[in-house]
Order: sequence, then C-alpha cells, then structure tokens
Amino acid sequence: TLRLICTTTAVQRKNARASGPEKYTEAFIKKQIEEFNLGKRHLANMMGEDPETFTQEDIDRAIAYLFPSGLFDKQARPMMKHPTEIFPEQRKIQWGEDGRPFHFLFYTGKQSYYSLMHETYEKFLNVQKHQDQLIAEDLPLQKEKRNLAGSRWLTKIELEEMLLEKLSDDDYSRFIQLLQKLVALPCADIEESYIQKFSKELPVQLQEVVIEPLQYDEQGKAFSTGEGKRKTARATAVVYDNGTGKITVNGADILHYFPVLQDREQLLFPFQFLGRIGKHDMVCTVSGGGRSAQAGAIRLASAKALRSFVTEKEVECMRQAGLLTVDPRVKERKKPGQEGPRRKFTWKKR
Amino acid sequence: RIMPVRWSRYNPSYLEPEVKKESYQKPLEELTEEEREQMELKAVRPIKAAPPTVSSSVFSDPMISKFTNMMMKSGNKVLARSLMCQTLEAIKRKQLEKYHKAPENEKETIECNPYVIFHQALKNCQPIIGLSNITKGGKTYQVPVPLTDNRKRFLAMKWLITECRENKHRRTMMPEKLSQELLLAFNNEGPVIKRKHVLHKMAEANRAYAHFRWW
Repeated sequence: TLRLICTTTAVQRKNARASGPEKYTEAFIKKQIEEFNLGKRHLANMMGEDPETFTQEDIDRAIAYLFPSGLFDKQARPMMKHPTEIFPEQRKIQWGEDGRPFHFLFYTGKQSYYSLMHETYEKFLNVQKHQDQLIAEDLPLQKEKRNLAGSRWLTKIELEEMLLEKLSDDDYSRFIQLLQKLVALPCADIEESYIQKFSKELPVQLQEVVIEPLQYDEQGKAFSTGEGKRKTARATAVVYDNGTGKITVNGADILHYFPVLQDREQLLFPFQFLGRIGKHDMVCTVSGGGRSAQAGAIRLASAKALRSFVTEKEVECMRQAGLLTVDPRVKERKKPGQEGPRRKFTWKKR
Repeated sequence: RIMPVRWSRYNPSYLEPEVKKESYQKPLEELTEEEREQMELKAVRPIKAAPPTVSSSVFSDPMISKFTNMMMKSGNKVLARSLMCQTLEAIKRKQLEKYHKAPENEKETIECNPYVIFHQALKNCQPIIGLSNITKGGKTYQVPVPLTDNRKRFLAMKWLITECRENKHRRTMMPEKLSQELLLAFNNEGPVIKRKHVLHKMAEANRAYAHFRWW
C-alpha cells in the first residue's frame, strides 16, 4: 500500500484498542467527569467569569494563563480537557462472572468485526430476496443510482474507533468490498439507513476557501495580493487591473530575473489559462529556494491573487487545472546507514 | 490488485490536474455519462498541483517534454530544452528548403510542421510486440510479449536517442543528428526503423515460445 507521509491528527492520536483487562472502570470515569465539571466551575469563579457559559476554549486560555509553560510539545503542557478526550474509549469486560463470554463470536478473536460482516451479509441476502420477489411479480426494479461522488466510506481508523477493535488492512478492504457489492445492487435503497452508518458526506465543492474582495489603491486602480510557496521559496504577488502585462520581480524585469524560458512560461501560465495576458500588471517579491522553486511560488501567488478578479466557475477551473494547490513535494531527508535519501552505500563483499 | 511500492507526498485521494483550456469550455450536453461522473468526482476531491514542466500554452506538448527529459543529462534541463528547440528549428529549415526547391504539384505533400513530423516519426518507430526473458527449466528464452502504450513510446524515444548518441560521427551536433534521424523515421527509413523491424522478425521467429507467457 502507498505509505503516506502526510498524516492526519487522527493517526497521531492513540488508537482505541482492547489491550488486556480494563485499565479504568466505569465508576472511575464517572468520578473523573464529576471532578472535571466541578473544577470547571471553580476555574470560572477564579477567572471571574460565568460558570454556566464557560466553554472549552475559555478553559484552555485560563490554564495557559495560570500555568505558563515554555515546553515545545503542546501535548506536554498542562491541559484540562473532558475525560472522554483524555482516556481512550475502552470495551467493557466481554465475559460474565462465571467466565462465559457474552458474544457468540468471542472466540474468533475479532468479535465485532466478524459480527459486522455477518450483519452486512444478512442485509445483502435480504436485498437479493427482495429483488427476486420483484422479479417474480414482474415489477420494475428501482434504478436510481446513488450519488457516489458526494460521499466516501469510513477510513480504517474511523472503523477501528467505531468497533473498538484493531483491524488489519485486509479485513478493512474486505469489508469495503462487501459494502460496494451491496450498494451496486439495484434495490439497495431498502438498506439505505444501514449503509449511511458507514459513509461520510464529502464537503460538496471543495470551495471552502474564502475569495477576498478586490482592494482599491489611491489612483482608483483595483489590485489584489496573493502568497505562494514551493519547496523553500516564498513569494508575494500584487496583481493590478487595467495594465499592460508588465511583470516585475524583486525590482527587475522578468527577462532579467528568469533567463530560462520554462520559468517565464510558468509565470504566465495563470494569465494564459484565464486569457488575460495583456490586461494585468504584476509586482512580486520572492526569496529563498532555487530558480524553479521561485517560479512555482510566484505562479501560485499570482493564481491566488487572480481569484478576486474572476468568476467562481473560472476559479473552479483553475483549481481543477492544479494552479491553486500548494505543491507538497520537498527534498527527502537522508537516512542513517545510507548515502542519500534512496542510494545505499556501495555493497562490498568483504 | 495494484500494489505501488513508492510513496508520494500526496494523499491517495488527490486527482491528476487537467491543464488544457479546451476541456473546460465544452458545454454540458456533449459529455458522456462517464465524463459527467468524472466531473462530479473532480468537484469534490482535492487536486494535485500542476508540475512545472506543464503549462496550458500551445507550445507545451507532453511528448516533447518526455523526450526532453530523456535527453537530459545530470539534471541539465536548460541544455536539453535548448537542444530540443534547435532540433525542431533544424527540421523546419530542412523542410522549408525542400519546399522551396520542389515543383508546384509536390508542394502540398511536403510537411513543414516540426511537431507533426516528430509525432509521426515516433509513431513509425514504435514496436508492436516486444521480447522478454523468461527462465524455464534452467534456460532463458526470448518470449514475444505484447507491450503497453507507455512502453512502446519509451522504447521508440530511447532508440532514437541512443542511435544519435552512439552511431554518429563524434563532431556532429545533437540537433543535426536528431533532425536527420527524425526525418528518416518520418519517411519510414533509417536505422531506428530497421531496429524495429529486426525486433519484429525476432518475435516472429520465437513464436513457438509464446505459450511460456503467463500474463
């Protein structure tokens, strides 16, 4: 599988695992919750605020004020959070007083996973039976296609949290395949509520970014700014309206600053894509990185600045052309025991 | 199932960017079902950044950039790109010379566009079938095997470049050698086309071992 360098906060948190006997009893957690609520009211009193409307953000600010810490790691600083966030969720003890387990699949080892697969297959057979009934009565099958693009399945980590049990990659992929088979059947609308438990809505239109309005300078010209980065280069661009198409980089003309044709092509890429080559002036500053990195940084900055001049559809077109994403590729680090990031030392037989 | 071994800095949910302007100007009715689904998917998923070699201008061509990258030595893209431009210029000059010398009726058959010549020459050089070494019972046999599109293009470009680098006189410049090779390949002559035919004949000769292939 593709190893991801980009990790999410969910991965960095400790996974919920049923490892060994219970570490915290239910009574203990209840006591912690009561203590937390009392402590919250005391803190609100101390800070002189209303105990009823004291939110988590207020708590964080109060703790940061009362216990200032110079530690670098945020997780190591003193914090006061709700016990459910601090103590990971645990499974209750799976067997009774006589030692007999409650669940019939306990001895498989992964009881929640297998019971889930069992349930999903039951729904699958249900749908097939319903389909057969409709065919026997010669009624038309419902052929409304479910919108696949607007939702995604739960990730492996989310499924693990739901089941409170560790899963392997293989198990997870088998479950997803079964779900896909279920969805592919024409009469799957019956089990829609069951399927919705395992799918998440993707935010429709990744246009969560706010487009800034145009600013006007002293002479009445419209302009907008944008910032871009690529590898170690950082660039800021100011795009003016009603211009001649002149581009200035760090005080010099682009022909002087970028003697290579490829870099100049990259600078003009956003303008050429929108068809506005002779209409805007640009003044940019760039520092860091190399020749190509600076060109990429300015391209991103100018694309971001041009968003304010252009309709929403064109912004969407720019995004699909890859002009508005920050390139995450950086130089890979050298590893110990190897000469470079990938190259190993020369292998000598003796 | 595909199991990629390398890792990438992008999340697997990121899609490839589409740079050409024309694909965004098509009205909604002309698209097929698959294209509509693709569009919907693109609207929701994040998209990778466009690489610095790619641009939406008329002058950028993916085949030409691939060829330039293959010609490049130790990361000197500036030199490789200038050699490529000089090659295309040399092709244009030679074709124009031929055009002005040719009689009236032949003037229309002479192709002057260097991009068309490059693409046609590459197509003519691509082998249809390739050979692969399969070891069975201790002996290694050359088994005829179908090639993917990418592999065909790669082989054609590789043959052109090695041909120019090794089999020519030391003092001739690369643009000269390359333009000569491309024009010969365009007319289905020249050493690269011969190499392709040799490969085809070997594959035909080893037809008996074709059943060794298991994919």
